[in-house]
Amino acid sequence: MEEQKVLTGKAQWLVFKRLMHYLVPHKKMVFLALGLLALTVLGDVLGPLLIKTFIDDYLTPGTFPTGPVAGLALGYLFIQVSNVIISYFQLLKFQEAALKIIQQLRIDVFTKVQNLGMRYFDKTPAGSMVSRVTNDTEAIKEMFVSVLIGFIQSAFLIVGVYTAMFFLNVRLALMTLVLLPLLFGIMFLYRKYSSVFYQDLRERLGQLNAKLSESIQGMGMIQAFGQEQRLQDEFNDINDKHWAAGRRNIKLDGLLLRPAIDIVYAIALIMLLSYFGVMSFSSTVEVGVIYAFVTYVDRFFEPIGQVMQRLSIFQQAIVAASRVFALLDEEDLAPRQENALGTITSGKIEFRNVTFSYDGKNDVLKNISFTAEPGQTVALVGHTGSGKSSIINLLMRFYEFKNGDILIDGKSVKSYSAKELRSKMGLVLQDPFLFYGTIDSNIRLHNHSMTDSDVRAAAEFVQADRFIEDLPDTYGQAVTERGSTFSSGQRQLVAFARTMATDPKILVLDEATANIDTETEVAIQTSLEKMRRGRTTIAIAHRLSTIQDAELILVLHHGEIVERGTHQQLLSNRGLYHKMYLLQNGIVE
Amino acid sequence: MRVFLELGWFFKERKKHYLIGVLMLLIVAFLGVLPPRIIGFVVDEISRGSLTPAFLMKWLGLLAAAACAMYVLRYAWRQMIFGSSVLLARNLRKQLFDHLTRMSPAFYQKRRVGDLMAHATNDLQAVQQTAGPGVLTLVDSFATGGFVIAAMAFTINWKLTLIVLLPMPLMAYLTNYYGKLLHERFHRAQESFSGLNDKTQESISGMKVIKTFGQEQEDIEDFQRLSGKVVEENIRVARVDSLFDPTISAIIGVCYFLTIGFGSYFVTRGEMTIGDLVAFTAYLGLLVWPMLAFGWLFNIVERGRASYDRIRSLLAEPVDIDDRENALDKRPEGNIVVSVEKFQFPGDERSALRDVHFMLKRGETLGIAGKTGSGKSAILRLLLREFDRYEGEITFGNVPIQDYKKQRLREAIGYVPQDHFLFSTTVAGNIAFARPNAKMEEVVQAAKLAHIHDDILNFADGYNTVVGERGVSLSGGQKQRISIARALMMRPELLILDDSLSAVDAKTEEAILESLKKTRTGETTIITSHRLSAIQHAHQILVMHEGSVAEIGTHEALLERKGRYYEMYQLQQLEALVEQGGEA
Ligand SMILES: Nc1ncnc2c1ncn2[C@@H]1O[C@H](COP(=O)(O)OP(=O)(O)OP(=O)(O)O)[C@@H](O)[C@H]1O
Ligand SMILES: Nc1ncnc2c1ncn2[C@@H]1O[C@H](COP(=O)(O)OP(=O)(O)OP(=O)(O)O)[C@@H](O)[C@H]1O
Ligand SMILES: [Mg+2]
Ligand SMILES: [Mg+2]
Repeated sequence: MEEQKVLTGKAQWLVFKRLMHYLVPHKKMVFLALGLLALTVLGDVLGPLLIKTFIDDYLTPGTFPTGPVAGLALGYLFIQVSNVIISYFQLLKFQEAALKIIQQLRIDVFTKVQNLGMRYFDKTPAGSMVSRVTNDTEAIKEMFVSVLIGFIQSAFLIVGVYTAMFFLNVRLALMTLVLLPLLFGIMFLYRKYSSVFYQDLRERLGQLNAKLSESIQGMGMIQAFGQEQRLQDEFNDINDKHWAAGRRNIKLDGLLLRPAIDIVYAIALIMLLSYFGVMSFSSTVEVGVIYAFVTYVDRFFEPIGQVMQRLSIFQQAIVAASRVFALLDEEDLAPRQENALGTITSGKIEFRNVTFSYDGKNDVLKNISFTAEPGQTVALVGHTGSGKSSIINLLMRFYEFKNGDILIDGKSVKSYSAKELRSKMGLVLQDPFLFYGTIDSNIRLHNHSMTDSDVRAAAEFVQADRFIEDLPDTYGQAVTERGSTFSSGQRQLVAFARTMATDPKILVLDEATANIDTETEVAIQTSLEKMRRGRTTIAIAHRLSTIQDAELILVLHHGEIVERGTHQQLLSNRGLYHKMYLLQNGIVE
Repeated sequence: MRVFLELGWFFKERKKHYLIGVLMLLIVAFLGVLPPRIIGFVVDEISRGSLTPAFLMKWLGLLAAAACAMYVLRYAWRQMIFGSSVLLARNLRKQLFDHLTRMSPAFYQKRRVGDLMAHATNDLQAVQQTAGPGVLTLVDSFATGGFVIAAMAFTINWKLTLIVLLPMPLMAYLTNYYGKLLHERFHRAQESFSGLNDKTQESISGMKVIKTFGQEQEDIEDFQRLSGKVVEENIRVARVDSLFDPTISAIIGVCYFLTIGFGSYFVTRGEMTIGDLVAFTAYLGLLVWPMLAFGWLFNIVERGRASYDRIRSLLAEPVDIDDRENALDKRPEGNIVVSVEKFQFPGDERSALRDVHFMLKRGETLGIAGKTGSGKSAILRLLLREFDRYEGEITFGNVPIQDYKKQRLREAIGYVPQDHFLFSTTVAGNIAFARPNAKMEEVVQAAKLAHIHDDILNFADGYNTVVGERGVSLSGGQKQRISIARALMMRPELLILDDSLSAVDAKTEEAILESLKKTRTGETTIITSHRLSAIQHAHQILVMHEGSVAEIGTHEALLERKGRYYEMYQLQQLEALVEQGGEA
């Protein structure tokens, strides 16, 4: 979990401004909602006015002419009814806008996640990324729903109240202005500490989630090794720290929010009363003015209190938003492809002096050069950790390389559109990954144009049809998360079928049959053999038998190609390959 | 409001805090009535022109004292009530986690990670809101409402008060009705959020596949659809949610109307003064907040109930693999006898294992071969007691494995699963997973045994290199060997290697097997593998076929039989021959 630095006031302001930009596409709805809000405020002002008219004009004199009184009553009812309807729609519209804004924000973050490079995924726990896409955005929603409208309403009111006060008594109004710095002071203090505290709280929440997510996924291991207690302790430790952070926030909120505002309110009252009281010692004071001022101070503090109440939601939203924006601004992007229109036709692959490092320090691949002619099979062999998968990672553009170049059909891989590359190259990963869904949806993925018979053909191709057809629901059989109800070999077969279903021009196999029995493997080999024409294949295998008739075998050692040739040539070289080969066949020299 | 009953156990537990908190709230509500009174006194004196400095000082002093007292009390009840609510969240979170650690694979098979996570985040949050702000709002709205109504009835006119309160049952009925509507809608909204969480979690975990197939765009569209559903469900909530405020304002409007109407009548009848009427409307104004708060309360409480339902149903999932009463507190050792007539995975009608019987003597090695899906891993998972429901018995040292304490049984087994799972900590932390306090030398020794030591030294930070989540920054073979080292660290009585050498090259495989043979002389080992080279030296080899034992015996005996094993062996030999180009 990366630590974020404390947000300065300016940074918070920027985050806020950026959030406000999300309002722009919904400006119509927002303006509509604000218009409705204004109408309801108007209704709130008019209602009491009608009552005042009734009291002053009719009740006080004690005359009740039917016409005007009924008119007033009807008018009052009309205002009430329309107020109810309008405020319903105003509330609904505002929530709708907020929900849509959050949806947009979520889609933006998710899209960003899709565009990040593998390097980012290597270093960031999935749980913390998920938490940003869903939970942090949820915290921002609260701000749009409850805070913003409250702020706007309060701003209206405060301006109105001050105008009225200046109207009544300039001197006193100026005096009450003294309250403003006091209030701002409290807000400033609150902002200063709460941003630190809330950030701490959210970070702890992030840690909690990351721990939880990893523990859930690794529960099998935790239980197999009897580490439940330790994990519980570790979790409790984070949980307690999160709890402590929560309590700290409550203390801060208690010290500086509503209770503090009420103290200022009391100060204001005391100020008013002493002013008028002292005045009354020397001259007469109009009681009406006192009432008006007291009411206005009341009115003034009511929205302030509301704002302060919601300040904590606001603060949380800003902290959450800053985390979301940090992800949106992440620069560890997937390698760029120029969107050229080139198409891959023959499938020739050439590595030219490619040197690569994951961390910028240790070179994992050193000066790799080789050529796979169209239709050829090139095999990569070598000890574990020698860099075989890394070569594929580069070819598939999972990681960006700096030195050397990789050419497909004579042009750099960087100059094909991502779409072209993905549609022409098929990769079977070393670790198969199945999605929640069905067997069918796992082979088909999001490709809806694929027919059922295509799916079946792909399954048959890799010999997966036999076990699939034995399943109660055959191709419609449910697949749970990561395919946990299938054997490892079965998962690998489904993942293999998925790649074959796209009928790739270039096929890349990374230990595609490592968990599969020999019989099935041989059958797959035969199918591949049949379909080899016109397909360039790059295969990694530890079982040398599976790559025996490759046109070119590359032997990797510590990231370097130390031997190359056909099987026969390599054997007669009596080098590393020969040694590996002898070992595998249990022949001792 | 049922959720308050459902959470009753917690309120009882924190009785003192809640009682004190509520008491403070009541005092604050009462003190809140003071300032208007004081203003009234002072203004009366001013208007009479009889205000004296002493009088002013006295009342203003009282005002200041009340304000200070309120500040302290407000701060304190927050600690009591809100403090308790975060404690509730903490305790529930702990309960959830503890419960999760007790759940068996059968449970994890049907639950999704994102959904479980949503329980611990969103739902807990909602419950916390109920126990904190929910309680506050409940008490506050009743207290303030009660004080105000009392003031209206006793100081002004009880008849008018009764009349004005007439619409209240309607309000109670409506808010209750909305509450019911909300409950179901919240449930669905929360579920859609869980769905979104699931989707996100899965896409991020399967990012490499998505990238491989260039399906980023399609996946984003899928996400868009799901997030659209979240919006839809939440708009359904908003439709009801937005009814509260207008309904309550409407009711208040009616109250005003009644006040003015009947009030005027009483005024003309001479039962009250106009001043009384104005004061009465002012009090009515004070009722607005508690009533609105009441609507808000419903929102919090229904959300909390929906969430608490979800949490409770998760906590109510029975623990299906647990220690028996008087379970043996002893690390098992000795011979292993497996005799399973029939085993079905939970929720699956097919039997994964049928009539599997074999005996493994202490100190011997068992090899298991067989086609993909033939039930090799299933046997091993039964040994680990991942599943308990099967016909037959498995004994370890002549005692059924169910009779040992789960913890002790698993302590004796070093398990290297087929799908290696590493934690996002350091390499050393992963190897010492089962014995976090082990000495560094032991870690290094295990690493050496698993032939991963040299690789580790080549990493940027050696043993302190942090491997990414699930070990993403390691090669396939490195992950497997770290898993092996992790199991060896336990110095297990029984070592299980489930196809754990599939990603290592022949040389390393040979070396690892060799060192196992050397160091594990008295202990038992089970190896499954598709490469017969890994198991041919075993004392006993089991060939599985469609869930049953097809053949059993030593390498030589099985070759002799010319059955499945022989065929497999021939096939692998044949390949070898082809490789040699017929040379040998
Ligand atoms: N994402 C990554 N980040 C940093 N280092 C990595 C990453 N992936 C692999 N490495 C390192 O690069 C080296 C080569 O790894 P690679 O996966 O290419 O090996 P391999 O030849 O495929 O091995 P195996 O046969 O075990 O799969 C290893 O030392 C590994 O630790
Ligand atoms: N949790 C489960 N629920 C239902 N069926 C399952 C579950 N786990 C495995 N199976 C099924 O049980 C059978 C045996 O699976 P098992 O994992 O034991 O195979 P295996 O022999 O280990 O295969 P592999 O060589 O591929 O690892 C398979 O058909 C598999 O689909
Ligand atoms: Mg690899
Ligand atoms: Mg298996």
